[in-house]
Amino acid sequence: MLREEGFNAFVIVGGLAAWRKAGNPLEPVPRDDLVKLPTFS
Amino acid sequence: MQPLLSLIGHHGYILVFVIVLAEALGLPVPAAVALVAGGAAAAAGVLGVYRLLLLAVLAMLLGDCLLFVAGRYMGWGLLGFLCKLSVNPETCILRSAESFYKRGKATLLFAKFIPGINTMAPPLAGSMKMPLDTFLRLDLAGATLYATVYVAVGFLFRDFLVSVMRGFQTAGRAVEGVTVLALIGYALYRVWLYRKHAVYRVVPRIQVDEVTRRLASEDKEKILLIDVRSHGYYDAETARIKGSIRLEPNKLKEELQNIPKDKDIYVYCT
Repeated sequence: MLREEGFNAFVIVGGLAAWRKAGNPLEPVPRDDLVKLPTFS
Repeated sequence: MQPLLSLIGHHGYILVFVIVLAEALGLPVPAAVALVAGGAAAAAGVLGVYRLLLLAVLAMLLGDCLLFVAGRYMGWGLLGFLCKLSVNPETCILRSAESFYKRGKATLLFAKFIPGINTMAPPLAGSMKMPLDTFLRLDLAGATLYATVYVAVGFLFRDFLVSVMRGFQTAGRAVEGVTVLALIGYALYRVWLYRKHAVYRVVPRIQVDEVTRRLASEDKEKILLIDVRSHGYYDAETARIKGSIRLEPNKLKEELQNIPKDKDIYVYCT
C-alpha cells in the first residue's frame, strides 16, 4: 500500500530480530505509544 | 461412530479425557465428537455417565487453567502466537481483548461452543488479569455446560446417531467424493487468492547492514524507519529500532498523510 501511495518503501530483511542480532541500537517504546488494553482489575 | 464406540468401550475414560484436554489446550481435535460418543457409550452401559462428565470437566479445567496461567505470565505474547493463525493477526489481539472485556463473563460460559473463541478465552482472561476465583467459577460452569450438552446428546440420541453413521457408511463413496471435490475447490480458491495478491509480495527488501550503513552516512536524513507492529505495543518492556516511528497498520491510510514522500521508507516487523 505504501508503494501504491507513491512512497519509496522497503522491507528490512529479518525485521527487528535481525536488527537486534546485529547488535544495533534499540530504544524502549515511548509510554505514549503503548496501546492500553482493558483489564478486569 | 461404531469404531469410535468400540474404541471408547475399551479405553473410554482415558480417551475422552485426553481428547477433551487436547482441545482445551488448543489442538484441533473434536472433543464434542468424543463427548457424544462417550454419551452413547454411557447409554449402552459401557461407561458411567457421571464419571464421564467428571473426567471431561476436569480435563477442560486443567487445559483452561494452563492457558489462563500462560496468559497471565506471558502477557500478550501467547495471544500473538495464537493470533498468527487468524486471518488478520494485527487486529486479532485488540479486537479479541475489547470483545472479551465487554462480554467477558458470558464469553467464558459459552466460549467452548465457539471454535477459535474456546482457545482464546482462557489466555485472554489471564492476560486481562481476571481474578482466578472468578475465572475458575465461570470456567467450571462453562465446562460443565459444554460436557453435559454433548454427553446428553450422545446419551439420548444414541440409536439415532448409530443410524446416521450407518447412513454415512452406506453413502461412503459419495461422501468421499464430495469431500475431495470440496478440498480441491478450496485449494484452487487459495491459489487464486495467492495469485491475486502476488503483486503486493513484490516489495523491495533491504538488509540490516545496508540500513546501518546508510544511517551512518550523509543519507541518514533521507531515511525514515517505521515500525509496523501492532502487537508489540502492548507490553511496557517492548523495544523498537532506535529512531523509528510507529505506524498503526490498521490505520494506514490516515497515518500516511503524516509521512513525507521525499524519504526512503524502511519498514520492519517482528
